[in-house]
Amino acid sequence: MGLSVHIIRRLLLVIPMLIGITLLTFTVSHLVPADPLAVIVSEKALDQPDIVQAAIQKWGLDKSLPEQYLYYLWNLAHGDLGISFKTKRPVAQDLAQYLPATVELGLASLCFALVFGLPLGIMAAIKAGSGVDHLTRFISLLGASMPPFWSGLMALFVFYFKAQILPGPGRVDARLIMPPPITGLCLVDTLLVGDMNAFADALHHLILPSVILGWFTLALICRITRSSLLEVLRMDYIRTARAKGLHERVVLLRHALRNAFIPTLTMLGLAFAGLMTGAIMTETIFAWPGIGRYAVESAANLDYPAILGTTLLIAVIYIFINLLVDILYGVIDPRIREA
Amino acid sequence: MKTFRLILSLILVAVPGLNLVGCGPQAAAPTATPAPLPTLVMVANIDDVVTLDPHHAYETTNLMIHASTYDTLVEFKPSDLTRVAPRLADSWEVSPDGLTYTFHLHPGVKFSSGNPVTAEDVRFSWMRLKNIKDNPAFYADIISEVQVVDEATIKVTLTEPSPAFLSICAAPAMSIVDSKVVKEHGGTDAADADQTDKAKDWLDQHSAGSGPFIQVSWTPKAEIVLEANPNYWRGAPKLGRVVIKHVSDPTTVLQMLQRGDADLHDNLDPDLAEQARADPNLNVVIGQSLDQNYLAMTSNPDLSKPLADKRVRQAIALSVDYDGLIQALLRGYGSRAPSIIPLGILGVDPAMTQGRDLEKARALLKEAGYENGFTVDLAYGSNPTRETIAAKLKSDLAEVGITVNLKPMEQSVYLSEMRAQRLAFCFGGWTPDYLDPTMWTDYFSYHDRGIAKRMWYNNPEAEKYARIVGTELDPARREQAIKELQKVLMDDMPFTMLYQSQRIIVMNKAVQGFAYHPVQFVNFFDLSK
Repeated sequence: MGLSVHIIRRLLLVIPMLIGITLLTFTVSHLVPADPLAVIVSEKALDQPDIVQAAIQKWGLDKSLPEQYLYYLWNLAHGDLGISFKTKRPVAQDLAQYLPATVELGLASLCFALVFGLPLGIMAAIKAGSGVDHLTRFISLLGASMPPFWSGLMALFVFYFKAQILPGPGRVDARLIMPPPITGLCLVDTLLVGDMNAFADALHHLILPSVILGWFTLALICRITRSSLLEVLRMDYIRTARAKGLHERVVLLRHALRNAFIPTLTMLGLAFAGLMTGAIMTETIFAWPGIGRYAVESAANLDYPAILGTTLLIAVIYIFINLLVDILYGVIDPRIREA
Repeated sequence: MKTFRLILSLILVAVPGLNLVGCGPQAAAPTATPAPLPTLVMVANIDDVVTLDPHHAYETTNLMIHASTYDTLVEFKPSDLTRVAPRLADSWEVSPDGLTYTFHLHPGVKFSSGNPVTAEDVRFSWMRLKNIKDNPAFYADIISEVQVVDEATIKVTLTEPSPAFLSICAAPAMSIVDSKVVKEHGGTDAADADQTDKAKDWLDQHSAGSGPFIQVSWTPKAEIVLEANPNYWRGAPKLGRVVIKHVSDPTTVLQMLQRGDADLHDNLDPDLAEQARADPNLNVVIGQSLDQNYLAMTSNPDLSKPLADKRVRQAIALSVDYDGLIQALLRGYGSRAPSIIPLGILGVDPAMTQGRDLEKARALLKEAGYENGFTVDLAYGSNPTRETIAAKLKSDLAEVGITVNLKPMEQSVYLSEMRAQRLAFCFGGWTPDYLDPTMWTDYFSYHDRGIAKRMWYNNPEAEKYARIVGTELDPARREQAIKELQKVLMDDMPFTMLYQSQRIIVMNKAVQGFAYHPVQFVNFFDLSK
């Protein structure tokens, strides 16, 4: 079976999956014993029948739940995610507003985690039991065990407040006049208009939050790479490769790492999807206007359209990243491609 | 390995290199032409903003923004919160029956667009507010008709005489918008405006007012940017730009102020107040807010038989260790009013406030037949502050033998339960929208309105005084009614006040002219740097 048929089949499966997700989310969010009107209409306006009536009509709350759900699906089929109860803007517009900040931070965190995690993991495996191994274990454990609300505050205190070498919270300096958003990614937008000063400022602001957010992923990459590489290095074919007199670097990179990379890639896919769907703690500490804060607030405000929209977006991100990972398996290991 | 080493070395070179171009105020604002007027950076929690259309917005931060981007007909100056002062209207007359108000607009005022401010703009603004039927529409409920007499004169007819009307006119929701500009962007004041008005998206990002500042942008959950309106009719602002940046973590807020990355903050955590006071570059101002935090007790015996007895409610009010609560929760940055109407409002005398008296509380419980105590559920919308309050109330009431079971809820569930009148014992907060006693008397006295209704409180005596407060035009008789109403409320004790919070406002020493306003915080027009 060809790769394209496989991809098409996977993509077709996405539709029933998304319908299932909306049904589940819709049901669960309506199990909360709260009246959305109490959230939509303010305490003082609740006594005004015309305001309450206008709200009931506007948000379709006079319809039964199955009707509301089918109405949602119908709109969804037409690409309409509905209007948020809270922000009163189209949910799609809200998501488009918050997603770029999350993507920018997520990608930066992933880059940090990969660039440091992979070499550290490899070094730890090659020199297993040595001081380097212990040091990487220490770094990984630190990353995996420090909660971001603590490490984030500490990092700001040390690097922003005391040492004064890194900027404070936010995506850019408040006094900086930014070009109007094009993609919503600060780094890309500033490059597009050629504003190098703003680009440097945005990059500078990314360092602390991406390190704090990416550290946990770094720990995962480092540990999994180490253990799978150690396992592979004990294999017969590695001994054979060495016996053939191949250079150690070729043995490591072409023979060992390629085989050891499969578990890392699986984990990487999940971690990447996790980074792309927002991180409430890091976003709060670093005043980062991302999807995590939006999602949490929607849930707290019983904002059904926003809850459904965010869940769908997160589901789509997970589905596509996992699909991508599946395709990459084939690239790395031809046996999977043929299976 | 080579590639990895290459990337590693690139990063190591790049990161310290960045410090040279770095951040901080020195390197900032390179893109625009050098601004002659300073930029003020305010850090605040602006997560509450959902829209900046003054006729839709009903949160807190928008009040501050609109007070600077729009003008109202009248206003309250921070120096005298009991007297209405002119703003767009130079003067006004009230008919003897209190039903008709005639306002005379200041001549020659222009919107930032250059259009003149006319009586038609006033009519359009108020009718749009009313017909959009969103949360702030209730401000316009009292208005039955708005007539344009001529370019500069407007006549308003009310549905009933209201001593609160001028205070309502000072509220940011009653701001005058540029009707031409709003219509150009799809706005309408028609009766079906809730369906047909399309100007909200535009007004979220731009202002259409005559205020001292013009809104440049709003990035939700990140920042709001205002620019000076150099042609402001009361004089050019002394700040060129105001950036309100969202930062919610209190420690970070203080660090930004201390490093000079931020100039102003509206509400510092009390735990950090001493640190801010100790910094020679910062000024700390304490603002007495009008935000009330109340403990409510039902009058409905089906919900709680003991609480329906007013002696028990009085006993509970006498059992709470208010000073201890204000100390533990707010480090002393709080005060207490005698009843629901806050300190600072007409007719409220701090000497009337009742504190803790366990002897009296025990005697009252004995008289009511609960000398061995009873058990009651305490409901609240859970957050860290409210958990502290709940724990304190539980331990205070245990001292008189009352067993309190804590029932924390998701805030949305709490609101729904409260609205459905199902809560017997709960606590929450109340924030005013405009400066008039009716903001409290209307919602805590009538058996069919607001919090009184939710707690089944029903006393014709209280309603009688609340009605005088709501309709009497003579200030002296109004004040008398407020005094009487407080006595009735303190005897029935459906609500006891836990605390009235104080704002810890921190600013850079360079910031001049700050005056705290309990509704809209500040008008940036007053500030310089």
